[in-house]
Amino acid sequence: MDTPQSTPAAGRKILIVEDEHFISELYVRALGRGGYDVTVEVDGKRGMELAQTNNFDIVLLDLMIPTMTGIDVLRQLRAPGAKPLKAKIIITTNLEQREDIRADIESHADAYLVKAEITPRELVAFVDTIK
Amino acid sequence: MDNLQKFVKQVKNQLFVILLINNMLILADWYILDHMLHLNFATLFAALIAASILSLTILPWFSTKYITQPTKLIWQAILHIAPDAGMVPAPDLKRKSIGHDMVMNLVSHVYQLANVVDGIEKTNAARPGDLSKNFVANSLPLPLVVLDKNDTVLFANHQMLDVIKRTDTETVGQNVYSVLDLSFGSTSHQTLDAWQKDVRANRPVAVKTWERVRLNVPATDQEADVPQFDLAAYYNKDNPEGFETMLVFFDKSESYGKDDQALSFVALAVHELRTPITVLRGYIEALEEELHDKLDPETAGFVHKMKAAAQSLTSFINNMLNVARIENNQLTLKLHQDSWADIVKATVDDETLHAGVLGIQITTDIAPDLPAAGVDRVSIYEVLANLISNAVKYSGKSKKVTVKSYLNSEGMIETIVQDGGAGIPASVLPNLFEKFYRSHRSRNQVGGTGLGLYLAKAIVDAHGGHIWVRSKEGEGSTFGFTVIPYAKLAEEKKTGDNNDISRGAHGWIKNHSLYSR
Repeated sequence: MDTPQSTPAAGRKILIVEDEHFISELYVRALGRGGYDVTVEVDGKRGMELAQTNNFDIVLLDLMIPTMTGIDVLRQLRAPGAKPLKAKIIITTNLEQREDIRADIESHADAYLVKAEITPRELVAFVDTIK
Repeated sequence: MDNLQKFVKQVKNQLFVILLINNMLILADWYILDHMLHLNFATLFAALIAASILSLTILPWFSTKYITQPTKLIWQAILHIAPDAGMVPAPDLKRKSIGHDMVMNLVSHVYQLANVVDGIEKTNAARPGDLSKNFVANSLPLPLVVLDKNDTVLFANHQMLDVIKRTDTETVGQNVYSVLDLSFGSTSHQTLDAWQKDVRANRPVAVKTWERVRLNVPATDQEADVPQFDLAAYYNKDNPEGFETMLVFFDKSESYGKDDQALSFVALAVHELRTPITVLRGYIEALEEELHDKLDPETAGFVHKMKAAAQSLTSFINNMLNVARIENNQLTLKLHQDSWADIVKATVDDETLHAGVLGIQITTDIAPDLPAAGVDRVSIYEVLANLISNAVKYSGKSKKVTVKSYLNSEGMIETIVQDGGAGIPASVLPNLFEKFYRSHRSRNQVGGTGLGLYLAKAIVDAHGGHIWVRSKEGEGSTFGFTVIPYAKLAEEKKTGDNNDISRGAHGWIKNHSLYSR
């Protein structure tokens, strides 16, 4: 069960914007074993700049991150007139959504996950389904 | 006049029936005495007189009570409103008696007259069209709206128009539900329209209040919160001015807003608790992956138990957050078309881990041709997960839990969760769905907070379903609940005032890798 699954991942590039070190370590390990090419960024603003390079297939975006919140990163990446991104954006958070930002997540993000609800292995299985 | 004629006719029929019975009795009496017992004339005459007296005593006693019922009700209504008649209760008009329509009509007139006497003189009373100029209504420092019996807005005062950001012409003459987008909390037992339906059928006048009603208004400011009100409604049947229902709103946004901040504290606490759990669950999984072929069965069992415990902690945190939501009237659902079989299978899969640790087997039996359900997947998952995890906890020596889904006789999708455990004593069954209630046995045997069933009931209720329990001591327990098939829900909503199949727009509860599109 823990042999790398190269088929769905096939070296796809993932950017993880996450400031909780333990969590990113776990995700890097699991996604790496799942055959993904993983980059981690701790800072919101730099995370956004990295995403804008369009070098990624998938962005896992936490909401509570330094310098710029995940929701602002999401809003800017998906703002009208912004450069279109090929990456799918998955919000990964443990935060319960306030009403005002929930609508933005629903309209701008491709998926939404509560981190406490899934183990790293389940995350990989989930990301595999994102095309 | 029609009502009166109807009443007179009913009384006539009544008297006819009574006299007929009386005559029949005497005839029967005479027949028996004369033809069967062959009595002489004097005895026969005396016996007939005795029989007449007997029936004359009994029949009026029965019939008077019945025929005078309308008088009694009207008498009660008049004394009820009379200033110095002491405490006479309002007439109970729910029981259908003779002349019911006439009584309803007269009683409602009595109440109207009372209002007119109390207030302005009838001749000076404002007509609906003049109300916009009504100084008093517009000076009232509370939003007020008046409806006729078709739910059309007859009048909305300035405060009301300010709140809903509409002009008078955009409001008057419209259906109230197209003007006011109200969300009632899951703690309200009856919404406004359900209450109106009830009082229209049964009452001449009625008053009701609701707490924590949200009035969804077009947002001018993205960050602004939905205002929250207490709502008072006054209902008056057949009012000669055409007013039927009057709604007054009390703005409680500020005080309820403070409760919402308390909720954000819970949300923050939830975040802080979830982060270490995420880490814990992650490393337990990594440990298991690294060591799974190096561990002896006992140690592998330890790891498995850690895993299950961390998972139940996650569920507990969700329950806590959801209960806080219910209390603050923030549990609102978005109902979507969804495969019920998929939801049941996914939930059973998740609960299998914990069950496996305890050596309990969960069997699933889903009817193959179930229609799609209209559910909020994330929250209905909570219901099922709570019921299954309870069944696992209480399954006792039987080590078996059964989950079944089928279409019941009312066309609802019904799901039952059965355990073969100790069962629940009849005395505690009625309280099971109350908050913090835990049946006596669970206090010393199993951990738990008593939140799960309370939460399950609130969520099922909000879905328009029904939750129930059947249990017998020594024979296990069965919990069941229903959800509405999507097609049925869509049909209901088409005829209702909501175009959208959604219940408000507050909070999506938690996510279980479900929110993908």
